[in-house]
Amino acid sequence: MSIEVRALNKRFGQTVVCDNLSLDIPAGELVALLGPSGSGKTTLLRIIAGLEVADSGSVHFHGKDATHTDVRERNVGFVFQHYALFGHMSIFENVAFGLRVRPKATRPAENAIRKKVTELLELVQLGPLAGRHPHQLSGGQRQRVALARALAVEPEVLLLDEPFGALDAKVRKELRRWLRRLHDEVHVTSVFVTHDQEEAMEVADRVVVMNQGRIEQEGAPDQVYDHPATPFVLQFLGDVNLFHGRVGLAAGEAGYVRPHELDILPESADGTLPATLAQTLTIGPHTRLEFRRPGDEGTIDVEMLRADYVALRDRLGLQVGGSYHLKPRRVTRFTASD
Amino acid sequence: MSAQSLPGAKPGLAAAAASEGVPSVPRRKSTDEPAWVRRLLIGSALAFLTLFLFVPLGTVFYEAFRKGAAVYLAAIVEPDALSAVKLTLLATVISVPLNLVFGIAAAWCIAKFDFHGKNLLLTLIDLPFSVSPVIAGLIYVLVFGLQGWLGPWLHEHDLKVIFAVPGIVLATVFVTFPFVARELIPLMQAQGIEQEEAARVLGAGGWQIFWRVTLPNVKWALLYGVILCNARAMGEFGAVSVVSGHVRGQTNTMPLHIEILYNEYQFAAAFAVASLLAGLALVTLVLKYVVEQRVKASMKVQHEH
Repeated sequence: MSIEVRALNKRFGQTVVCDNLSLDIPAGELVALLGPSGSGKTTLLRIIAGLEVADSGSVHFHGKDATHTDVRERNVGFVFQHYALFGHMSIFENVAFGLRVRPKATRPAENAIRKKVTELLELVQLGPLAGRHPHQLSGGQRQRVALARALAVEPEVLLLDEPFGALDAKVRKELRRWLRRLHDEVHVTSVFVTHDQEEAMEVADRVVVMNQGRIEQEGAPDQVYDHPATPFVLQFLGDVNLFHGRVGLAAGEAGYVRPHELDILPESADGTLPATLAQTLTIGPHTRLEFRRPGDEGTIDVEMLRADYVALRDRLGLQVGGSYHLKPRRVTRFTASD
Repeated sequence: MSAQSLPGAKPGLAAAAASEGVPSVPRRKSTDEPAWVRRLLIGSALAFLTLFLFVPLGTVFYEAFRKGAAVYLAAIVEPDALSAVKLTLLATVISVPLNLVFGIAAAWCIAKFDFHGKNLLLTLIDLPFSVSPVIAGLIYVLVFGLQGWLGPWLHEHDLKVIFAVPGIVLATVFVTFPFVARELIPLMQAQGIEQEEAARVLGAGGWQIFWRVTLPNVKWALLYGVILCNARAMGEFGAVSVVSGHVRGQTNTMPLHIEILYNEYQFAAAFAVASLLAGLALVTLVLKYVVEQRVKASMKVQHEH
C-alpha cells in the first residue's frame, strides 16, 4: 500500500515540527526518514500512524484519505523506539495480542492464533523463547518481538521509530541486515526513522533527509549521497571539508570535499592546496590525517585505507609537521546563499 | 550487571594482597562508620522502637488477656462491641471499593493525559492528607448537619447523614481517598503511555487496553494502595468521631467504641477490642510487606525495559 502525505503542518506550542511536508512512499518500498533530532521525523511517522493529529494537511493510504481514520482502523504496524512490549505477558502473548483483541466476528480461532504466532516467532528466530517474559530478553531479542507483534495483524504499512536506536553497535549492525532481508521476504511498505546516516544508507530503498520540519531531499541512497541537493544533506551524510574561494571556486561559491576524495601530493600542482600534516589517527582499517592550512589555521581531514596510508607514508616519507599539497578529486559546489 | 561483577573481583584482589605478604585487614567501605558508632546508633534505634512500639503493642495484648480469656471473649461478643465491629467493616467495605475506583480513575487521568489544572487536581487529591481529620469531619457536619447547608432539606426528606451511618462512610471515604491514587500515579507516570499506544495500534479498544495492559501493569501497586486504604479506613478516629455522634450500638466504630470503654474505666474490654484492631493492623502489615516486595519487583522489571 502506498502512502501519500500532503501539505502536512504540525506545531507543538511555538515549535514547528512539520512545515508543509509532502511525501510519496510507493507500495512495497523500505524508506528511511533521516534527520537530526528535532527534525520532525518521528512526528511525521506518528502522524502517518495516527498516533498524532496534524494541524493541517492530509495522509492518504493507497489514494484513500486516511487523515481522520482512527489508529485502530489504519491497519498499520508500529514498532516503538523502546519496543513498548507488554511486560506482564509472555513473548507468545505479546505477539498474539493484536489477534486476541479483535472483535469476535473477525477473531481467528485459538489454534489459528497459535499457528500464526508460532510462524511469526520462527520468522524472527525466537521460537524457543515463546514462554519467556520481555524482561528476560536482550535488547535485540525484544526488538524482534516488537517486530513480530507488529506483523501479527498483517499490517499494510510497517512503521518503525528508531528501531535500532537503543541497541549496541554490533547488534544494531546484525539487526539492520536482518530487517533488510525480512523486508525482501515480507514486502510490506515500511518506513523507519533514524538519525544514523549509515543505517539509512544500508537498509533503505529510499532515503528522505529531513531538517527543521522540512524535507531537504529524497531519493535512492547513492543518489542522495552523490548528488546532495543542499549543503545540509551533504554535511549530514558524512564528514566534509569546506573551502571558500579556493580550489578553482568562483567568488561567492563554497566548495565541499569529502575526506576520502583528497589526494596527498609532495609538490604543488594545478588546483592543489598547501597544508601541514598535524596528526594521524588510525581507526580499524582506516587512517585519518589531519592537515592544517597555512594562513587561517583551518583544518582539513583526509581519510584513506590504512594500507594506502602505509604505502603513501613509505613513498613520500609522510611525517607530522611536514608540508604537502592536497588535491581534491571531486568538489561539490553550492553558492554561498544556500 | 557491573554491580554484580564488582564484588566478584574483590576476593581476587584480597588473595593477591595476601600472597604478597600484606597482612589482610577486614575490608571496610569508605562509607562505613567505626564499630562503636554503629553499635550506638543501632542500639538507640532499638531502644526507641522497644519503648515506643513493642512495649505499647505488647501492653495491648497483655492488658486484654490480664483478666482471663473469659473476660476477653465477653468484651468482644458484647452486642455494642459486635455492632462496632460490624459498622467498621461496613464503612471499610463501602469506602475501599469506592476509593479503588476513584483512585484508578484519578491516576489514569493524571498519568496518561495532559490537561489544564492537572497540578490542581494533584493538590486536591492530597487534601485529605494535609487537612486534619477533625476538620474533614466538621466539613461534613457543616454541609449535612441540621444547621448546615443541606440539613433542612435532608431533614424534610427524613434523610439522616450526620450522626448516622452515611456520615461515617462519607468521612471514611474522604480521609482514605488519596491512598490508591497516590500509590498508582508515580508508577503509571513512570510507565508512560507507550504500551497503551502499542495496544491501540494493534487494534485494542479503550476497555481492552485498560483491562489487558494498564491494569495488569499496576496491579501490585494497586493492591498495596488498597491495603493502606483498608488499614486507614478501619482505624480512622478523628473524622469519624466528629460525624458519628457516638450512639452506642448504632454509630460507634471500633476506635470510637474503644475510647468509650476506656473512658468508662472498662480497661480489659477496651484493650480486648483494641487487640482486635491491633491484630488487623498486624495482618495488614504482613500483607503490606509481601505486596511491597512484588511492587519493587515490578518496578525493577519496568526499569529494565
